[in-house]
Amino acid sequence: MNDEHKIIQQVYAAKEDVQAADALIRAYLPFIKAETAKFLKRPPVEGHDDELSIAMMAFHEAIGGYSRARGAFLKYAALLIKSRLIDYNRRERRHSHVVSLDTPAGETDTTLGETLADEKNHQEETAERDATRREILELTRQMEEFGVSLSDVADNCPRQQRTLNACRRVLRYAQETPQLLEELLQTKRLPMAQLTAGSGVERKTLERHRKYLVALLLIYTNGYEIIRGHLKQVMKNLSADTPGYQNQGKEW
Amino acid sequence: MRYLVMECHPGYAILLDEEGRFLKAANFCYEVGQTVYEPVLMKEPSSPSGQRRLLRWASSGMAAVAACFLLFFGLRYYQNYVQPYSSIYLSINPEVQMDLNRQGTVVKLTGTNEDGVKLLKGYDGKGKDKVTAADELIDRAIDMGFLSEGGQISFSIDSPDEALFQEYGVELRTKVTEHLDGRITVTIEVVNHRTGQGEAGQEGTGTTPEQTPPSDPPASDTPASDSPASDSPTLDTPAPADTDYGPNNDGVTDYTQPADPPTPADTDYGPGNDGVTDYNDTDYGPNNDGVTDYSDTDYGPNNDGVTDYTQPADPPAPDTPTSQPADPPAPADTDYGTGSNGITDYTDGTTDYDPGNVEGDSGYDSDDANDDGDDDGEDDEEDDD
Repeated sequence: MNDEHKIIQQVYAAKEDVQAADALIRAYLPFIKAETAKFLKRPPVEGHDDELSIAMMAFHEAIGGYSRARGAFLKYAALLIKSRLIDYNRRERRHSHVVSLDTPAGETDTTLGETLADEKNHQEETAERDATRREILELTRQMEEFGVSLSDVADNCPRQQRTLNACRRVLRYAQETPQLLEELLQTKRLPMAQLTAGSGVERKTLERHRKYLVALLLIYTNGYEIIRGHLKQVMKNLSADTPGYQNQGKEW
Repeated sequence: MRYLVMECHPGYAILLDEEGRFLKAANFCYEVGQTVYEPVLMKEPSSPSGQRRLLRWASSGMAAVAACFLLFFGLRYYQNYVQPYSSIYLSINPEVQMDLNRQGTVVKLTGTNEDGVKLLKGYDGKGKDKVTAADELIDRAIDMGFLSEGGQISFSIDSPDEALFQEYGVELRTKVTEHLDGRITVTIEVVNHRTGQGEAGQEGTGTTPEQTPPSDPPASDTPASDSPASDSPTLDTPAPADTDYGPNNDGVTDYTQPADPPTPADTDYGPGNDGVTDYNDTDYGPNNDGVTDYSDTDYGPNNDGVTDYTQPADPPAPDTPTSQPADPPAPADTDYGTGSNGITDYTDGTTDYDPGNVEGDSGYDSDDANDDGDDDGEDDEEDDD
């Protein structure tokens, strides 16, 4: 009972704090592994079995979705892990006819993956990845100055296409008026009034997605070319006009 | 769709898709800056959606309606079946209070005196009909010796309305009478607890039908005791079956009835009661004078057709020396039959019990104790002293 109380407190702390959530997941890794083992009928291997990653994500989801009304946390987490593993298993079954790269090729010890011709330039790729990482780390550091973490942004991200489009409109307006971005960098605050007036988006929407907007606007301030390059679709949509958004919405 | 890995956590990775969404996904050993193609995205946190909220509203509404129904029917049930509506106070000697609901079913039994508590000990009458409970309680009373032949049962009914009192009274009287029929003869009295009146419209005195009216034979039998304003109706009046022997023995000897015709005034009951019983003048026990007077009765099959009232000196009446001389010279001056002049002589002011009357000793001396028809079963121990 007391033990259960402790874990509930931990879970509620983990909801607020990303570090605490990571610590909790690490602390309960044996539990997650045990649950995965029940599903796999064998102990999972860390770094090899995707199922374990799925289970860990499910555990994280359980932290986010748990409330005292749902009963004991570990039971809830176990249920969620099982459900996500089943979901994953169903999804993977569609690709069951695909031959794994890990299957042995011929009589030799080499696997199928190793026999494939390597078309990519590994060195170039690694360099590119390093550059991207540096950019991301810089972005993370800058966001910290605003008191925003990437986890927050992920939680704060608009889920509806309509809201996403509204945020894009704000972004476009900010891009058109560079002094707003400068003001953002100097005051570390979103110039809400101007953004609302300029973009025609409701202030409520902006306030609700403040953290996401901070991240999005920061990406478009300076420097983050690689990330911006990744977001080419946003650019494309931004260059297009409002009707384009609706088409986009239908596609989704 | 390509995803850029922005941040890695042990449980998940944060990805940025090409549309500018930041998403959480399963971390398949990703590294920051990596581009991935088919991540397993985390499901959105399940917040109560509109539909679910509606469902919750509906269910809570239904729960409220159900609660109202339950309350309504519960109240009805309580009023009908649980709440005491009327009470019956059953008293034999043990007094028991029966609380009834509107259906006439017993909801609570309370012993209102010590014997009542004793009577109820180990008895569960809850949920039984009032008549059943009353019958069973009476049976128990008989078994436990509280009620014997000639006893009295009193039902005092406390009900909010008169009609119910009538209904319960009639029902209890008939059913209990039926129940006891052929086993024991008792007096059943039904009284309204509120007004204190007996059951209206039926046998004002409340005697049972099976008990023969007390005024029949005793009228000729015990004239002295049956004079105006005689026994109260609830008192056990001598019945024809009122013998002191055999199965009809009620535990009360009625010595004065047949044995002492010459001393009509000397009865122990009614206005003639002089407060002195003449138990010693018996034909049995140590006081037996050796002369049985059975044949010398004026009634029944042994009636010799000759009343002995005119005999100047009746041997078995030694206790009337002073009153006797007044009677014999006037044989016609009897109070019965043809000799009755309509004037009872009871009031001649001469009693048999003045201090000088040695032989007219009271019947209550300790040496007489065994003569009191020692079969009531209760006072034995005292008597044996």
